[in-house]
Amino acid sequence: MAPAEGAIRVHDLGIQFKRNRAARRSFKDLFAGRTRRRKPDEFWPLRHVSFDVAPGEAIGVVGRNGQGKSTLLKLVAQVMLPDEGSVTVEGGVAPLIEITGGFVNDLTVRDNVNLTAGLHGMTTREIAASFDEIIAFAELEKFVDTPYKHLSSGMKVRLAFAVISRLEEPIILVDEVLAVGDAAFRAKCYTRIEELLAGGRTLFFVSHSEKDLLRFCTRGLYLDKGELVLDGPIGEVVKRYNADYGVKG
Amino acid sequence: MRRRWSPLARYRRSLWILTTRDLKVRYSTSALGYLWSILDPLVMAGIYWFVFTQVFDRTVGHEPYIVFLLTGLLPWMWFTGAISDSTRAFTKEAKLIRSTTIPRTIWVARLVLSKGIEFVASIPVLAIFVIVSLTTDHPAIVGVDALWWLLAIPLQAGLTLGIGLLVAPLVVFFRDLERAVKLVLRFLFYASPIIYGLHDLPAEFQFWGAFNPLAGIFSLYRSAFFPEQFDAFAVLISCVMTVLFLVAGFLVYRAGIRRVLKEI
Repeated sequence: MAPAEGAIRVHDLGIQFKRNRAARRSFKDLFAGRTRRRKPDEFWPLRHVSFDVAPGEAIGVVGRNGQGKSTLLKLVAQVMLPDEGSVTVEGGVAPLIEITGGFVNDLTVRDNVNLTAGLHGMTTREIAASFDEIIAFAELEKFVDTPYKHLSSGMKVRLAFAVISRLEEPIILVDEVLAVGDAAFRAKCYTRIEELLAGGRTLFFVSHSEKDLLRFCTRGLYLDKGELVLDGPIGEVVKRYNADYGVKG
Repeated sequence: MRRRWSPLARYRRSLWILTTRDLKVRYSTSALGYLWSILDPLVMAGIYWFVFTQVFDRTVGHEPYIVFLLTGLLPWMWFTGAISDSTRAFTKEAKLIRSTTIPRTIWVARLVLSKGIEFVASIPVLAIFVIVSLTTDHPAIVGVDALWWLLAIPLQAGLTLGIGLLVAPLVVFFRDLERAVKLVLRFLFYASPIIYGLHDLPAEFQFWGAFNPLAGIFSLYRSAFFPEQFDAFAVLISCVMTVLFLVAGFLVYRAGIRRVLKEI
């Protein structure tokens, strides 16, 4: 493994959104003059964000809803592209974001594992080698040839986590997926994340759970109003966040 | 354990995974499976054959008309299927697009490929009618011009990809475009030499008819059985138009993808 593998470099990152996303443009707008065209008001969910992550670091992202946490994760995962600045990621990313998104209802669990793992870059041989392990982790041994649509929502998340966490990528992104699923499975996921961390992976973790943040992360990023307010040890970041927004006990 | 995919290998593999997924879904959920992909052109061909040879007296095309029809209809199905699917290329797969980083032109390319595979899979239908025609007064004989298919298929794939890359992101910004595309496709069906040949057009339209990039491509397919259908001028224009559409498609796609990823 190259020494820099797993490093993330975010420089002056910014992305712009339209506030009224529902009001899509129509042909009429296209032909209307520039002055007559509705000017959708624009805003920056993230702007002027810069930080560097060393390989093996565990970063927790903190902030209220709508302050750009998930957007930051998507930019690091490169499933969204910035309007300003840049994100440089050394090595691949295993994104635990919208993890059930790639699964196809009409295909069996087996086909879905092959599909998703393949799209995330695993070779056919690697998939075959870790297939049983994935199914065992998801506790779906009896459902291998069941169409995906017949799984319960908990099973779906289990399967997705099992596949993505098996990817041999140096960076893992986790976006509150662990909020679903029962306590026993959540405990299993945590153990798996700790294993991955012990194996030297870089972790990028978004959560509202102070306990989880303190458990996994060493460093925190505090996002507020689209800006990076504080970048420091996780304890300090959580304390600052609580001071700003936390419920006073 | 970790290996690096070369960009090309990654592209090919992802494209193949998604294409086989599409075909698998289509065939695992329907009882008739493969039959569906040939039934559609078959019924269409049957209707036009009946209308133009039994109801009206056919003045266009060549005998055997059913072979003439299918050599235009089957490639048309590929084109129209891929283009109308590409209007939903992003919306239908939004979740998957939001969670994977595979090269993004794949979202259109896979549609061109899977419809292309269905096109190739429907060629046996044509072969059956060709064989049947051998027992009639007007046998369809395969000539050396059949080699033109080797140009026609990549040319059509390129043209379809170029137009698809143009349409897919624009539909995300302008929802009206989805219906407009449907309308244009319906118009294009009659404006392209499918139920007739390019040379059946009135003289004053023939020149302009050649500027439809499908005209040249269909003339290549047809020349396999009807050498006189070959039209060098139309083919040349098809080649130029394909390159132009590909360039325009890639430029629009590259410029639009950033906003597409935000909108979906």
